[in-house]
Amino acid sequence: MPTIAELMQSLPEAGAEADRLPEPLAAASMRPVPVGRLRRIGLLGTLQAKIAAAYLFHWLRGCLCSEDERQRLLRETHWRTAVRVLDSMGYLRGAVTKMGQTLANLPDIAPKEFVQTLERLHYDAPPMHWSLLREMVHNELGDDPENLFASFETRAFAAASLGQVHGAQLPSGEKVAVKIQYPGIARAVTEDFQNLNLFMFPARLDKDWGYVKGQVDDLRLRLEMEVDYQKEAAMLARARSLFREEDGIVVPRVHPQLSTERVLTMERLEGVHLDEFLRAGPSQEQRNEAARKIFRAWYRLFAAGRVFYADLHPGNFLFLPDGRLGMIDFGFVVALEDELWRLCQRLDRGLTTGSREDRAAGVREWSVITDDEADADRLRLSVDFSDWAWGFRYCGGEFDFGDEAGFRRGIDLAAEMVRKRYTRANPCTPSICRQNFGIRSLLYRLKARIDVRPIVEEEMKAAGWDRHDA
Amino acid sequence: MRVTAQVQAATRRRILEVAQALFASQGFEATTTRDVAKAAGIATGTMFNYFGSKEAVVGSLAAEALADLDVDFKRRDREGSSLEEDLFAFVAAGLRRLKPLRKHLPVVLEAALSPVRGNVDEECCRLRVSHLETVSRLAAKQLGLKELPAMALQIYWSLYAGLLLFWANDDSPRQEDTLGLLDDSLHMFVRWLTDSSNKPKEP
Repeated sequence: MPTIAELMQSLPEAGAEADRLPEPLAAASMRPVPVGRLRRIGLLGTLQAKIAAAYLFHWLRGCLCSEDERQRLLRETHWRTAVRVLDSMGYLRGAVTKMGQTLANLPDIAPKEFVQTLERLHYDAPPMHWSLLREMVHNELGDDPENLFASFETRAFAAASLGQVHGAQLPSGEKVAVKIQYPGIARAVTEDFQNLNLFMFPARLDKDWGYVKGQVDDLRLRLEMEVDYQKEAAMLARARSLFREEDGIVVPRVHPQLSTERVLTMERLEGVHLDEFLRAGPSQEQRNEAARKIFRAWYRLFAAGRVFYADLHPGNFLFLPDGRLGMIDFGFVVALEDELWRLCQRLDRGLTTGSREDRAAGVREWSVITDDEADADRLRLSVDFSDWAWGFRYCGGEFDFGDEAGFRRGIDLAAEMVRKRYTRANPCTPSICRQNFGIRSLLYRLKARIDVRPIVEEEMKAAGWDRHDA
Repeated sequence: MRVTAQVQAATRRRILEVAQALFASQGFEATTTRDVAKAAGIATGTMFNYFGSKEAVVGSLAAEALADLDVDFKRRDREGSSLEEDLFAFVAAGLRRLKPLRKHLPVVLEAALSPVRGNVDEECCRLRVSHLETVSRLAAKQLGLKELPAMALQIYWSLYAGLLLFWANDDSPRQEDTLGLLDDSLHMFVRWLTDSSNKPKEP
């Protein structure tokens, strides 16, 4: 539990301007990943109390000032709280950082100050110092980076939930990116889920607990797979083979001799992330083109690669100077094994005809919804959410992904389903929802106005889908 | 027959080599001084002329492994690194060299690393002095001090001994928890050192 002193310290200071607040990367964030269930749960508990105290104090101060001042104080509280959350999530890493990334994927839903700050978790989490990372490389590759590479940048150029990335050059002269996993991260992920199970203890009494448990277990399994860089290397190679030069989409080449379960060496793509791309003021057509590439990449992986790319966030895409799109992280994917693949093929009918009955049939199957009257509201909400998630797919014509109300509707529907505990669904639903929110969030930020249907048709045809009955 | 210094050195080397192989193959506990002597081709009594116990053998192996650590570390010295990073790199380099002895270290730690106990082994004493000299040099350079106070060295050595003990029993993958503990310990030590060296002196 936090001490009174800690709680007092967490309170915002009156009169402080958000612009002058310090950088969030406190020294504590640069420590190795804290391991141990109690330690991690304690750190999370402290964070929760700090956030509550900050907003309580804002409310108290707000009673005594004007509306303008209250708004200014609210922005300041959002900012300060986001900095604390960023700091704690950057320190805890693992599944906790993933939660922060998901929150940052909800622009205009979470407070702007939160999103802008937590966005750093996608690629700018606090890195660990070089001496520690060098030991990791030595332990994994059997030699020091100085001996294995012609040059090695000791300062990480990107850092996120599971590892950090350093630039290097091979003896051949090729520039590479070396992703090094934080020590202890695999156990931290497992412990985060053990803590989550503890928090969810009251939900065990729910009649749908079995489905919830299945979904949490599925998520845990995927994150545990993500910490194995050998699996990611295999996925990178598979994804790379799916794209041709004319697609303008590139997946980096892996160097297997310099890759292990915890170190991944791959071709370095030079480009900028989404925020920098947008700062340069691209035209509507440039934004549309970027959106088409992102969409095509996502659909190619689905139709031809039989995977759902569930990590659609700005940190995983690079906009290259020559106009190509780089996809750089393949840790979090949902492989569509036979049963799931067949289910996806059945669901495709509803997404192609656009008929509500067809979509309802798919939703019934996905979410195990019966004809019982008690399930009527569940069916209505689930179909509405499916409309939101896939409507652009069957509507045809230009779709305005930058419509704020449209984007917000998906969040509201998902929140309503959670509130009503409509949790009965396929185990991989949380990953699929993450994917749906991810793609909508990216295209929303791009303010894209595109017709995705031709892309879908091309990709399905090229992958040889049998859709004669659609 | 008079045994020359050369023969003595060769015998000593042979004892260390066979002892290390036996400790690795059958474990420290299961290996007796008689086993070591037999494998080295000498009488058990003769072995005691070289090493008072098998713990002393491990101590000597550790001392040998760490003999030119300072030189090794200087090669990796990096401009602009922090004291924490420097100390981390120094200790981590030592752990790498001690790796073949990791499992056997606890049995000699108490005797070899205790700063208060009378020394049982001259080599271990030299090892400790050399290690602390390097730590002192690194800290003095970064903090602008002439030398580290005795209290600081005492605290550092306690942390280091604790770390070695933890490492010897660390069953996390590739002993990654030891890296975490080392970083936390050095963070604490450097923060204390910085605070105490910035504190104004009492008149």
